[in-house]
Amino acid sequence: MTSYTICVFTENSIGILNKITTIFTRRRINIESLTVSETERKGISRFTIVIRSESRETVEKLVRQIRKIIEVLAVFGYLNEDIAYNEIALFKVSTPIGAKPLDIETINKTYKAWVVYWHLTYVIIQKTGTEEEIFEFFDYIKPHEILEFVRSGRVAVSKSPQTLVDYLPEAEWEYYQ
Amino acid sequence: MGFNENQTATIQGSEPAVSVAKPELINGSHAVIQSLIAEGVKTIFGYPGGAIMPVYDAIYDYQDQINHILVRHEQGAAHAAEGFARISGEVGVCLVTSGPGATNLVTGIADAIIDSTPMVCIIGQVASHLLGTDAFQETDVMGITIPITKWNYQVTNADEIPEIIAKAFYIAKSGRPGPVLIDITKDAQQKLMTKPFVHKKTEKLLSYHPRLAPKDEQLAAAAKLINQAKRPFLFVGHGVQISGAEQELIRFIEKTDIPAASTLLGLSSIPVDHPNYVGWLGMHGNYGTNVLTNQCDLIIAVGMRFDDRVTGDLSRYAKQAKVVHIEIDPAEIDKIVKADAPVVGDAKKALELLLPLVNENNHEAWKAEFKKYDAIEDEKITQPELAPTTEKIKMAEVIRTLSDKTKGEAVIVADVGQHQMMTARYYQFKKPSSFITSGGLGTMGYALPASFGAKVGAPDREVVAMIGDGCFQMTIQELGTIAQSGLPVKIIILNNNFLGMVRQWQQLFHQKRYSFVELQNPDFITIAKGFGIDGHTCAKREDLHASLDKMLASDKPYLLEVLVEKEENVFPMVPTGACVADIRLE
Repeated sequence: MTSYTICVFTENSIGILNKITTIFTRRRINIESLTVSETERKGISRFTIVIRSESRETVEKLVRQIRKIIEVLAVFGYLNEDIAYNEIALFKVSTPIGAKPLDIETINKTYKAWVVYWHLTYVIIQKTGTEEEIFEFFDYIKPHEILEFVRSGRVAVSKSPQTLVDYLPEAEWEYYQ
Repeated sequence: MGFNENQTATIQGSEPAVSVAKPELINGSHAVIQSLIAEGVKTIFGYPGGAIMPVYDAIYDYQDQINHILVRHEQGAAHAAEGFARISGEVGVCLVTSGPGATNLVTGIADAIIDSTPMVCIIGQVASHLLGTDAFQETDVMGITIPITKWNYQVTNADEIPEIIAKAFYIAKSGRPGPVLIDITKDAQQKLMTKPFVHKKTEKLLSYHPRLAPKDEQLAAAAKLINQAKRPFLFVGHGVQISGAEQELIRFIEKTDIPAASTLLGLSSIPVDHPNYVGWLGMHGNYGTNVLTNQCDLIIAVGMRFDDRVTGDLSRYAKQAKVVHIEIDPAEIDKIVKADAPVVGDAKKALELLLPLVNENNHEAWKAEFKKYDAIEDEKITQPELAPTTEKIKMAEVIRTLSDKTKGEAVIVADVGQHQMMTARYYQFKKPSSFITSGGLGTMGYALPASFGAKVGAPDREVVAMIGDGCFQMTIQELGTIAQSGLPVKIIILNNNFLGMVRQWQQLFHQKRYSFVELQNPDFITIAKGFGIDGHTCAKREDLHASLDKMLASDKPYLLEVLVEKEENVFPMVPTGACVADIRLE
C-alpha cells in the first residue's frame, strides 16, 4: 500500500465536503486523514486528503472524478516525495504526585515537543512532525500513561514551484484578507 | 401570495420598461419563472405541492408564456423532461415539491446523469428556519442527490435566484450534459427580492470550463494512428447526437472509408443504409460488430464510455487494438479501456479538426468481413424473426413493419427489456435524433413519460413509444397526462405476459426456474379508454398492417396492444462475463 496525498482546491461553499467524500465512498476507498482550510486566496478552500492504495491508476481515476465536481477548481495527487508535509498531535500525559518526573530536556531537544498546558496531575504536550515522528514520541511517552492522544490530519504543500495560479491563470484572484 | 403586478421587472434582452421611476421588486417565485423564461423555457413538467406552492401561484400569471404539463407522478416529470431534452437538445425542466415530490424524481435524475441528459429540476423545500428539524415533507434532497446530479444547490435567499438559475442552465447544457437540481426554500420563494430582477445568462464559471476544441497534439497523435491502421473500426456513441456531429461523422467515415458501428444511444446518428454502417455493438448487438471488435487493429471511440454491456469481459476485450478515444469528459478517458490516443473535447469539434489530418483510404476488404458475419446472422436470426413460420406474432415483425410504414423516420421511444433490444435491432433508423431509451440506468417505465416529453420537443415528428407489458404498468398513470395534454403520441405495447428479459435469463442461466416473471395483466385497452385514449388489440399476424395503419392514421394519442409470442428470446447475445467474440447466436 502506497500513501497518496490528494489536494483539492474548491470554492468555499456549504456541502462541498459531502460532494467530495461521496466519490471515495462509491469506490470504497477509506480516508486516512482529512484537513480543510481556507487558502491564501479569498473564498478558496483547500482539502488535504490522505489515502492508501495499491494502484496508482485507481488514484488517478479518483482525482479525475473529483475534478468533475463543479465547485472544484483543481485536484492534485502526490506521492510523499513530492510534498512537504506535517501533522500536529496533542498528548495529555498523567503526572501524578510521586510519579517519575517528565524529562523535559529530552522532550524538547530530542523530540522537538513542547508542554503547552500544565496541570497539577497532568500536562498537555504538543508535537509536530510526520506520522512516524509522532509515533516515535508516542512510544517514548507511553510509560507515563497517556490520558488522551489526538492527531490532526496531514497538511501538505507540493515541492513544485508552480502554484494554483499557474494552473488557472484566467481566474481573477483576490488575496485573503 | 397575490403578487401579480410584476411586469416592470427587467429581463435582459426584453424591451426596457417605459417611464418606471422605481422598478417594482418581485418575489422569489416570480423570479424563478422570469428566469426560466429568460433561459428560453417554454414547457415545464411538474406537479404541485405544499413547499412549491408560491411558484405555482406565480406560474398562474405566465400561462401565456409557459406551458405547464401536469404529470401524474413526479417520476413521469423527470422522464418527460429527459425525453424532451434528448430530442431537442434543450434543457428539460421539472418543477416539484419537497419531500416525496423530490424523492419521486430521484430515479429520473439518476437516469439523466448516466445518459448525459440536460435537465434542471426545481424543487420546493420547507422554509429555511425549519431546515434540519424533520418538518412536514422535509427531506435532505441535497444529500440524496449529490451522487446523481452534475450540480446541486440550495437557495435560501430570493436575491440569489436569477444567478443560480442561469448557472444551472449553463452547467446542465454545457460540456457533458447532465441534471442539475435547485432546492428552493419556501421563504426564498415568498420573499421580495431586495434588488431589481436582472437575469444574465452564465457564460463561464471560475471552477468549470469544459474543453470544446481538443489539443493539437492529441489530434495529431490520433490522426497518426488512424492513418497507420489497416483494420480501423469506429464506434458511434451518444456524444455524436449530443454535440450534433452527425454530418462531421459521415464526412469522416466517407473520407477514411472506416466501418462504423453504434452503441445503443448512438443509434440513428448514422442512417442504417449508409455503406460504412456495419451495425450495433454490445450484448444484443450484431454478430460481426462484436466478433470483429476483437480483430480490428484500431478502435476510434467517439463520445462513448465503454459500458460493460458494450465490452463484455474486459480482460478479453479488443486487446489487439489500439484505441483513439474522443470524449468530452476527461474522467471517462482510461476509466474502462486504456486510450493510446485520448482526444478530450467535443465530438463535433474533434471530428471537424481531425478531418483534414486523416488520409483518404479504401477499406473495401476489411468492410467485406462484416458482410460475411451479416449473412450468417441474417440466416440464423434475422430472417426467422422477420418472417416467422410460427403462429404468434413476433416482436421483430411488429418493429420492422412499423419501421417500413414510418420510412425509418419516426422518433422511437423504447422502454427497457426485450422489446427495447428488438427495437434497437429491427427499427431501421434513417434520420438523426430518432431513438430515445434509457441506456445506462435501464429504467423500466421510462418510455411512456419520455414519449410525450419527446412529442413536446419535436411536435412535427411522429413519436412512437415501444413498451413491454411490464414496463407499461410502472408508469401507466401517465396515460392521464397524455389524455389531458392531448399530445398525440402513439403507444405500442408488445405484450407477452412476461417480464421477458428476466425470463430469458432465467431460461438460459437459471435452468428455466421462472421466478416471479409471469404477469396477470389488466385489459390495457379498457384502461386506455378509461383515460379517454382510443386503442385496440392486434392478436393475429394478418391484422398487423391494418392495426399499425390505424394507429398511425390517428391524429390523437393512440394505444395499440400487440399480443406477441410468449417465450421469445433476444439473440445474438453476449452473456454477462463472456467475451464479445464468443457472442451466441442461439
